[in-house]
Amino acid sequence: MEKQLDRVMDEVLTVPGISGCIFSDKQGLCIGVKGKASAESAGIMSAIANQVAKLEPDNKSPIIVYENDNQSCIIQQQGDITAAIYKTGII
Amino acid sequence: MGCCYSYFCDQDSSSQNGEPSERTPLVNPVSNSINNHQINCDDYLIRNANSLPKKTDEQSALNRILQETATDVIDIAALDSHNLQQHEYLDRMKQYSLKLQQACAANKLPQKNNKSILQDIPQPEKVLMTAPLSSSDISLISSIVNKATTAISDIKIEHKEELVASFQIP
Repeated sequence: MEKQLDRVMDEVLTVPGISGCIFSDKQGLCIGVKGKASAESAGIMSAIANQVAKLEPDNKSPIIVYENDNQSCIIQQQGDITAAIYKTGII
Repeated sequence: MGCCYSYFCDQDSSSQNGEPSERTPLVNPVSNSINNHQINCDDYLIRNANSLPKKTDEQSALNRILQETATDVIDIAALDSHNLQQHEYLDRMKQYSLKLQQACAANKLPQKNNKSILQDIPQPEKVLMTAPLSSSDISLISSIVNKATTAISDIKIEHKEELVASFQIP
């Protein structure tokens, strides 16, 4: 069941600098969220990943980074799963 | 042939009075003018009354040479002292771009093709200069996605109740 996913999310949050993570499916349904992240952003994450994947069709799973001065959001879609992590501090 | 100037000119007075010899200077000795400076102004006027027009001619010629030299020579030291202010730069930039536009319009030059894909980004060099995503972050997000994919694939729906309910219709 989803205990495995919970374990993965807990593991992700132990990485220094990561403040939150969110997982969603291809349609934008939130599968799991933990830390400083909102389940409402799951749809946006999937939509962004889908659009970016069209820019470079040869690249199977592009990594998207949004950043401001003190935080960055890293998104990657692989197969049907889109993962996004929020990282504090400049990359 | 004569010589331009000779040390012996002053001493060799005989040759100056007489016919031109090899020691006769082509140019009048400068010492004349130096001596003139030492005399009083009135004396100068009286003594040189006859030669005054000639002197002024010489003076004007010298002035002309000086002026021509001044126009031909670029004095770098004097240029350095004049620092352009910020608004002067802007004014000149506007002026030059205006002139350029006018020149382009007059010569009907083709408009520069602006086919840059980054034309909607005002300062693309800033965006392009930013450091790329570090390899540790790339491996981190990749491993997270891989783990999440395997974890999600493990999710199975377990039905605990009968989905089909039978109604006991008598």
